[in-house]
Amino acid sequence: MTGSLTLTHIQAFLFFAAVISVAFGYLGRRQPKDRLKYILWSFFLFLVVGIGIGWAMYPFSR
Amino acid sequence: MAEELIDHTIEGTSQHAQQAPEVLNEHRAWAIGIAGWLVPGLGHALQRMWGRAGVVFLAVGLLVITGARMRGNVFTSKGNDAFDTLGYVADLGTGSFYLAARALEVNGADVSHAGGDYGTRFLATAGVLNLLAALHAFEAARGRKA
Repeated sequence: MTGSLTLTHIQAFLFFAAVISVAFGYLGRRQPKDRLKYILWSFFLFLVVGIGIGWAMYPFSR
Repeated sequence: MAEELIDHTIEGTSQHAQQAPEVLNEHRAWAIGIAGWLVPGLGHALQRMWGRAGVVFLAVGLLVITGARMRGNVFTSKGNDAFDTLGYVADLGTGSFYLAARALEVNGADVSHAGGDYGTRFLATAGVLNLLAALHAFEAARGRKA
């Protein structure tokens, strides 16, 4: 495994959000239905907050 | 006098008998917490929480492999400043996977581009996530609702 991996910003962002949401869902809830709801909600919040912060920083990027 | 002494001895023995399982349980909880830190997911696997064990192992493993392959910075104990030391502590949180990250990153870190910087964050997140999971396993072993 010597080749380096290249991900775009959005790919890295989605990968991070998905992995952490699943881990949080499994650690934080016991029942499968509760876990699924928690995972989806957590993933959604990651997206909203991440994209929100991205847009908030946009005026300062130029 | 003799009866009092016998009563006192019996009472003391009874207290010891009650305390022994608690002490044993506490030692077991610490062992589970440390096992969970050393091998991600092992703390939960030892308590037959297979789903959580698998997810923790995969999540920490994926973050470490991806972070190392993106050429993120795997910090060492020879840091230059407090941030390097903090990064080292976070990376050590992955337990044995820290050695895997060092072994995977044969070309060294490259944080001159965004990918390398993301890799550094992935590695640190893997460590912090594993510490959280080990703490969760420790609390579950102590009988807290988990």
